[in-house]
Amino acid sequence: MVALLLALQLRTITVDQRLAADAHVRVGDTVVVSAAPGTGGDSVIIAAIIGRRADPSEIARSDYRVHLHLDQLQRLIGYGDRVDRFAVSTHGDSAADSAVRAINDAAFGFRAYRSRDIAIETSETFAVVSRFHRAIGVITIVASAVFLLCILLLKVDERRRDVAALRLLGISRRSVMLTVVLEAAFVSVIGSGVGVAIGWVTSLAVNWHYQARYQTPLRFALVTGDIVLFAVTLSLVLGIVAGALAARRLVRTHPLVLLGR
Amino acid sequence: MRLVLALASLRRNRARTILAVCGVAIAAAMLLDMVMLSTGMRESFRQLLLSRGFQIRLTPRGTLPFDTEASIADASAVTAKLRARHEIDLVSPVLGASVHVLRGDSSITTFALGVDPTSQGDYQLAAGRDATDPGSLVANEDFLRATGARIGDTLRVAAGFDPQLRTHSGERALVVSGRAKFLYLASGQLAVAIPLHTLQQMTGAAREDRVSLFMVRLRNASTIDEVKHWMRTALPTIDVISTADAMARVDERLGYFRQLSAILGAVSLVVGFLLVTTLVTVSVNERVGEIVVMRAIGVSRAHVVQQIVLEGTALSVTGAVLGTGLGLITARYLNTILSRFPGLPAAIDFFLFQPRAAWTAIGLLTACGVLAGLYPAWRAASLPLASTLREEAVA
Repeated sequence: MVALLLALQLRTITVDQRLAADAHVRVGDTVVVSAAPGTGGDSVIIAAIIGRRADPSEIARSDYRVHLHLDQLQRLIGYGDRVDRFAVSTHGDSAADSAVRAINDAAFGFRAYRSRDIAIETSETFAVVSRFHRAIGVITIVASAVFLLCILLLKVDERRRDVAALRLLGISRRSVMLTVVLEAAFVSVIGSGVGVAIGWVTSLAVNWHYQARYQTPLRFALVTGDIVLFAVTLSLVLGIVAGALAARRLVRTHPLVLLGR
Repeated sequence: MRLVLALASLRRNRARTILAVCGVAIAAAMLLDMVMLSTGMRESFRQLLLSRGFQIRLTPRGTLPFDTEASIADASAVTAKLRARHEIDLVSPVLGASVHVLRGDSSITTFALGVDPTSQGDYQLAAGRDATDPGSLVANEDFLRATGARIGDTLRVAAGFDPQLRTHSGERALVVSGRAKFLYLASGQLAVAIPLHTLQQMTGAAREDRVSLFMVRLRNASTIDEVKHWMRTALPTIDVISTADAMARVDERLGYFRQLSAILGAVSLVVGFLLVTTLVTVSVNERVGEIVVMRAIGVSRAHVVQQIVLEGTALSVTGAVLGTGLGLITARYLNTILSRFPGLPAAIDFFLFQPRAAWTAIGLLTACGVLAGLYPAWRAASLPLASTLREEAVA
């Protein structure tokens, strides 16, 4: 009864999943929160355990997070009737612009910013990572292109005897070239299809690993339609170019030379 | 002789060889970059932490240096307690704060370090005198550029600003006594160093006898565990962070880059291996008749194997050497991108060149080249002579 009465007087807080796991606390537990280690504080009840949002800015942060009632936190840290910021919801983009203007015209000692502007300012880290990924991506694409060209040139080169036989049977150079190019294009499309499947499976593994590591619902690797289209198109173009280059050299060589005679 | 034959074989298909070398070079460049990324970032950070010989940092419980505005109380008593230990050679108390340099109606906000100039480990003096006088400061190049101040100028500096009353507090006139390079600050960050007591007085009662961190240098690095244990017992509200602890935290925060470098490095190796294997296999298939004739006229199996393995090795070594140069160029470019991380100390290099990294990349690719040539070489050298000669003649 005494415990119930005490609980009714205690205020509630929420803690994040990582803190709950590391401190072995559960919903309903009573804990003490204070402004500094070793100093007196308030006993509070954990009302909820909250998961992290899909927010990139929280990924590298290893700090714990607790939500308290505003007045309780102000009192605990001796902050008086002060806050660090207000979040204001408006009806649409144009209303946000006029609200920002109105607040800044009337404000004394503070400023209003659009959420979008703050997001740009605080997402510089991710812009840097994104630029790094793009640069690595370009290097990977160049490496893949050279690899693909090399493999397709070898593949077409292997057909020198077949090409010689076709030419000796009277098939035109144009038809032979078209056949070889079509074959190279087919191989490229099949290869890129397999690559897309491997990429999709890899993205699942990457998301699973990093979501578990950083305890976030954020998706780290995405296989989108645009990416698939780019990969298949690049592969197809490289296949056709490599096929055309190799076939051109083959059909220009005398069939008997191709046969080694 | 074997090398001459191997090179002649590569020269026979010039376009193919050039493409393969290009492919291996790009794979080698990527591999070198990834080896540099995985080891360089860590090494660069370690060198930065140890650059002034301080092995231990003491911060308010649960924080990293300057991660929050939390501070350590009773700084004088803690300093005295630390200096009393015979294992400790030097103690450097540091207070971090934002200060405002007043210029007429406007002001420039800058990061200020309150230090003891005789024991500080945060900056290297580049010109002028250190801030030994209570009414002086040393500033970095970015600060001097932004304010237009020069050594010898007097600046009005305030520690506090009330946004509601728009008034400054803790104002002092400070003379710029020197120019310094701050070791742990991001490039472009404005910074000044002010004598600790001056900054504590300027910041008022809230920071009286408080510091943000202590840096501690030991006489003998081998006593670090013993000293850490004592510190944790004697100073329970303070976190003790050794260089190894800091490295572990950096590993945790930047683990993504190490994983990325491991994955991309492995992919580069596989691509290089596949490229050389494919090329050598096709080359061997094309020369089956030639190889069998060599065997038939008495050339030993080992000779054939060595010649083919040499082909693969030559491709790999040439590609790897070219790739090393290419890798250094791309590493520089990638480092420029990552150095723009907000708040990252300017002295940190993500891609730090170490000769060991280059040798590792070249060695791994050469080993791949040798391995790539082994299977086709062994298969070619093991062909049955009579039946293969007959098949080649019929073909």
